[in-house]
Amino acid sequence: MNCEVAQERIVTAAYRELPDEQVHELERHLASCPDCGQEREQLQALKVLANAYPVLEPGPNLIARSRLRLEEALDALPPMRWYERLAQRTMNNFASLQAAPVAAVLLLLVGGGIGSLTGFEYAQNRAATSARAAAPATDATAPATAVDAAQAAADAGAGGLASVSNVANVVSIQSQPNSQMVEVRYSRLVPEEVEGSLNDPAIRQLLMLASEDAASAGVRDDSVALMAAACRSGDGCQTAGIRDALMVALRYDQSASVRMKALEGLEPYVSRDLRVRDAVLEALLDDADPGIRSAAIGVLEPVEADTSVRQVLSTVATSDESPRIRLVSRAVLSRAPEIQ
Amino acid sequence: MGDADRGGTRANGTVRGQGRGQGNAPELELIREAQAGSRAAFDALVRQYEHQVLRLALHLTGSEHDAEDIYQEAFLKAYRYIGNFRFECSFYTWIYRIVTNLCLDQLRRKKTRREDRTVLVDHGGDEIDLLSTVSDERSYSNPGKELDRKVLAARIQTALEKLTPRERMVFELKHYQGLRLRTIGEMLSTTEETAKNTLFRATKKLRTQLAGLR
Repeated sequence: MNCEVAQERIVTAAYRELPDEQVHELERHLASCPDCGQEREQLQALKVLANAYPVLEPGPNLIARSRLRLEEALDALPPMRWYERLAQRTMNNFASLQAAPVAAVLLLLVGGGIGSLTGFEYAQNRAATSARAAAPATDATAPATAVDAAQAAADAGAGGLASVSNVANVVSIQSQPNSQMVEVRYSRLVPEEVEGSLNDPAIRQLLMLASEDAASAGVRDDSVALMAAACRSGDGCQTAGIRDALMVALRYDQSASVRMKALEGLEPYVSRDLRVRDAVLEALLDDADPGIRSAAIGVLEPVEADTSVRQVLSTVATSDESPRIRLVSRAVLSRAPEIQ
Repeated sequence: MGDADRGGTRANGTVRGQGRGQGNAPELELIREAQAGSRAAFDALVRQYEHQVLRLALHLTGSEHDAEDIYQEAFLKAYRYIGNFRFECSFYTWIYRIVTNLCLDQLRRKKTRREDRTVLVDHGGDEIDLLSTVSDERSYSNPGKELDRKVLAARIQTALEKLTPRERMVFELKHYQGLRLRTIGEMLSTTEETAKNTLFRATKKLRTQLAGLR
């Protein structure tokens, strides 16, 4: 064993991580190498010195404060929706398939094979139907099928399958043996419309749904704008649902315009609802848009003396990437009264 | 505290370092319930690990305020991502991985040195003497020795701050928290060998910094 290896093993041995057979080898080297012997002594001295900075047990006050703060933060989080729980459970189950790789591969092969075969059969029959439509007089005795009926309706202008954009999903496909005929069962989307005032619970439900589920940012923007206007006017935000929907939009919506409207709608409640205050504080700390972070400082003005707010402002005053926001935070801190 | 072998049962009764996917049955049940959305189950998990988290964060940062922030961020992250826990390692390792990464971020952000290493600033802004809680009868009869200990502790902290964040973290986890190098490697998403080499570099640097002290 050379001294370089020995000196590394001295450290490992001092922390009881060296395998027993290597300990014996090291001891033999140290018996004959004074330099390495001195290294070991110095390391032991370092360990004693390092203990002059002891590890302290956290005091009960620190634990209690930390717990309380965590509980407040957890209470402020919106509950998981059923589809989020379902998605998480699905991902967990899928992940557990990794423990059975052979089964997973077989599942994929079989599933992929069935899907390809079904698609091939369907495409083949569809092509045959199109060919028959181009020469309708050749097979007048063919039995009526869902495909034929739909084709006839389309030809007649009834619009049964005039647009596949109306199809929600295909429920089943059955092909008849020794035949080109295919029966397809499907469900259709039925667009609907409703009109009512903002005080109508049904309208509010739809607005809250739109704020979370609408694919278009424009629709989410419109719904959040309406809910925010109701909150600012003071008569539309008493039910928890609207306020919760605005907080969810502020935290999670991808559109900065939607988040800004949500922030404006929550402004009247920042001093009376701790959850709203904490949601705005989170926006001040984490929002990617500097306009929103800046607006959050203004929204927090009624509660700028709160300890939590001052702590966040202190953090933002030194760490925000926008110089203007850092400046404004420092200005707010300097004018807010000290907490007694 | 020191480098005492921490294998076996912790003070709260749970067993540490049991390897991949193992843990006591009640804890596994709590984790599954927390993943299903039970807040009570998550709170019970927090109670099990909060002492260790605060102890580590407090010693590493030297500040109750910073330790509280790390506690908050760590458990909020754990709450958000507990659904992603796949039982491939122990929950202890998983939580500590979150905490060590947050502590590493904190160490990297720290730009200024504190002048008096023995003084912590608590939540209310009051100063707490780090060594005043150390039970030592000699300190009452020998104030000179008390001062020596404080100065020594300050020198140790200064030397620790000269390490890179990873060296500091490995030394903290090994020397002060008594974890195995293999566990440290898992927590820092590296190998046991790398953790060992990092410990070696850390001790070498500390010896250079503290040369002449006894």
